[in-house]
Amino acid sequence: MQPRLMEREAPDDTCLVDEVLGGSQASFQLLVERYEQRIFNLIRHYTRNPVEIEDLAQETFLKAFRRLASFQRQSSFYTWLYRIAVNTILDSLKRRGRSPVQAVEDLEAVPAAPSAASPSPSATLEREEIARITQEVLEGLPEIFRTVLVLREYEDMAYQDIADLLGISIGTVESRLFRARARFKERLLQKHPEFGNES
Amino acid sequence: MECQNARSLIPSYLDGELTQAQAGPLRQHLLDCQPCRGSAQDGKNLKRWFAASEPVAVPAGFAARVARRALQGDTGEFPPSLAAPRAEEERGRMLRFVLTCTAAAAALLFVLSLGMRQLALPHSDRMLADSSPQLSRAIQELDRLNAAERKQKRAELDAVKTKPKAGPDAPLESGKKP
Ligand SMILES: [Zn+2]
Repeated sequence: MQPRLMEREAPDDTCLVDEVLGGSQASFQLLVERYEQRIFNLIRHYTRNPVEIEDLAQETFLKAFRRLASFQRQSSFYTWLYRIAVNTILDSLKRRGRSPVQAVEDLEAVPAAPSAASPSPSATLEREEIARITQEVLEGLPEIFRTVLVLREYEDMAYQDIADLLGISIGTVESRLFRARARFKERLLQKHPEFGNES
Repeated sequence: MECQNARSLIPSYLDGELTQAQAGPLRQHLLDCQPCRGSAQDGKNLKRWFAASEPVAVPAGFAARVARRALQGDTGEFPPSLAAPRAEEERGRMLRFVLTCTAAAAALLFVLSLGMRQLALPHSDRMLADSSPQLSRAIQELDRLNAAERKQKRAELDAVKTKPKAGPDAPLESGKKP
């Protein structure tokens, strides 16, 4: 979440949105400044290339600007922006042919394998090393699984918000997360069997 | 609570999705049931792989650049107000203007020299202008460039005056454009 200090002292998002719609570049800059870090962090889970990250972030904000008049204010500005970001990322993955080809239905039909105990990062592992391994495992997962994991685990989003964002039901979020975790575990152990012996 | 029921609730529990009324009985079951406790621990272990990593560095000036582009794209015109004008941009603008003038002057000189050579003995400006259509075209071109430059400056001045809400850098923004 954004630091509360900022929320208290700065104009809220809806005020800024109104000002932007009135033509204020400064207000749009404020909105971008408010959310750029979170958007960059989100995109980082899909590509490690800093140029691509910046491009996608820029595309996200420019799209948001163009569609600002359609922002309904039923959801928070951030949720709305987030949806644009996720769609921009997924579109770009598709364009670059990097999205795994399996259809969503196929993936969701496959029962999750009965799982072995989850490996846990050993205590000696550095935070950055954990992040690197996780990133590597995530990159090998079909995009629908990667996305629910990123939204739930990194972005700490509630099931309802994930459901709204992706246009799926809460039940689907739950089952998709379940499968995604099973896949993650499976792939982690394939790539790093050394973690399999942890208690 | 039965184990099967407990197992199905554990992921939601770890994700903080259960109400107090749902979580209470599950917590009690986990205290009493070692295998289910193991299953919860397993879920927690997996979550440890998603520890937050270092934030990505956002390039300096990203927001200012994006905001400028957004507003440019919207109107299809010159930036209405450069809320945070950057030195290199100002230099670029100046450089473009100087280059334009230099190019125009060079063209003028070139055409002038051609005109001088072709004409036997030009005795007056009037004669020169009349007898060289190329020259008058070059002068017209120069006038056009100057007019365009003046228009651009005016547009920028107007934009600054009518800017609805001053940005933090607004005081720097005066009419003193090159
Ligand atoms: Zn049990």
